[in-house]
Amino acid sequence: MIDPQAAGEPGSVRHGAVGPLTRTTGRQVLVLADDDGAVDWARAGLRDVADSRDFADGLVPPEVLRESAAIVFAALGIAVVAAEPAQVGVLAAGDGGRPVLSVSPELVHHVLDEGAASYARGYRDGVADLTGRLLAAPGEEPPGPARLEDTRQATWGVRAVGADTSSRSGRGIRVAVLDTGFDLAHPDFAGRAVTARSFVAGEGPQDGHGHGTHCIGTACGPRTPPSGPRYGVAHEAEIFAGKVLGDDGSGTDAGILAGMNWAVTNRCPVISMSLGADVPEAHPPYSAAGRRALAQGSLVVAAAGNNADRRAGSWGFVGAPANSPEILAVGALDQALAPAWFSARSLPGRGGQVDVAAPGADVCSAWPMPARYNTISGTSMATPHVAGVAALWAEATGRRGLELWATLVQEGERLLQPSVDAGSGLVLAPR
Amino acid sequence: MTRVSVTVDDRHLSALDGVVQGLRARGMQVEQVLDGLGIITGSVPAGTLGALSAVTGVASVDEQRVHRLPPPGAPVQ
Repeated sequence: MIDPQAAGEPGSVRHGAVGPLTRTTGRQVLVLADDDGAVDWARAGLRDVADSRDFADGLVPPEVLRESAAIVFAALGIAVVAAEPAQVGVLAAGDGGRPVLSVSPELVHHVLDEGAASYARGYRDGVADLTGRLLAAPGEEPPGPARLEDTRQATWGVRAVGADTSSRSGRGIRVAVLDTGFDLAHPDFAGRAVTARSFVAGEGPQDGHGHGTHCIGTACGPRTPPSGPRYGVAHEAEIFAGKVLGDDGSGTDAGILAGMNWAVTNRCPVISMSLGADVPEAHPPYSAAGRRALAQGSLVVAAAGNNADRRAGSWGFVGAPANSPEILAVGALDQALAPAWFSARSLPGRGGQVDVAAPGADVCSAWPMPARYNTISGTSMATPHVAGVAALWAEATGRRGLELWATLVQEGERLLQPSVDAGSGLVLAPR
Repeated sequence: MTRVSVTVDDRHLSALDGVVQGLRARGMQVEQVLDGLGIITGSVPAGTLGALSAVTGVASVDEQRVHRLPPPGAPVQ
């Protein structure tokens, strides 16, 4: 990260906490807003502005780069400007037409090998660091992350993904949870937009098990429940409750696929499926359904499975439907952000991997009345944390489908855990 | 009877009716045509599942699985 405010001397910025001062060119790099409006350069007193669109294939020759007062890279929405601070100020204030999102000094970049002296310094520092670590007395090992706990304000899961400090609520985003239905009379959800359908023959959408209500609570529960801590991530999302598992907790592919079809047709950007069968092969219908859902703007997230017993050295495997590469597979973390003892590991070979991880141990959420709340564990509980976070990102960015998938991975927190267990790490809500 | 899910290939997504007719002609009792996903569910007499693969536009035929949650009181779900 580059922080121009922390510059050690005029005209330079510091890279990280140590290392040589980075040189700047005196020019400024402007990130322009995401529209095609023109910048009013004349207003800032700038002439001789080059635009990459004026050159064949967008290839701006180096002499133009050197001599122009400003160069606009149209395909990137970025301009490099050689101007007085007052002129840049006019542009940054938005007085020059197209808004400017950020202004940063242009840095001089180097290939990393600066020559023998630099290499030798780096080698010396590396050896010093290594010997320091190896010779350090036992017990000086930095402690692992503190164990997260529920507070009066929010559950540990809501805190871990940063939902409690996010400016987003999931407003305007439809989240489909395909499960055992929903307790339609739950007081925590009074006044919420809920669309409920049953795909189980002979049963209505009312939850006769509890699992579905718990998952919907985690994905979409309220910001301030009447009692107890906040347990829901996307507290203003529109709830689509599809009952695909009966009151006995079981369901068939037909009902699950019907629920997915309903959610896709209703343009739900997020489909959460805390269900699975312990089979190590991808099931072709789910691969096709996941792929076609993505193409229509619906991201399917599914539980990796609970078939591990890590306490006994058994790692399990990702079951169907999560083992379809087109479906985002979610592993469960405990309060130390380590894989929960039951959380399934990626299958060997291609596909069938855990893609991301989320809180899934001792998760408090809604439960059908009169119990109202229940605390349980499982990759089933991790999955709706991801669904809720995905809804926040869908709201924040407008992204859908594979772009939304990529955003979850891009914005997630990497963990010091095997990728076969935690994928790209802990999903995080937008700030 | 065996419960099956038939996945239709990409080229026949806009011609699901023809695939349904072909499946019925080979003895499938069609229950759902999921046009948003390109999947057809239903059942066939035991042992005749393989015949459906020959229908034009069929990408795969799979026996349906049963998904089962632990009981509500289980600590791990």
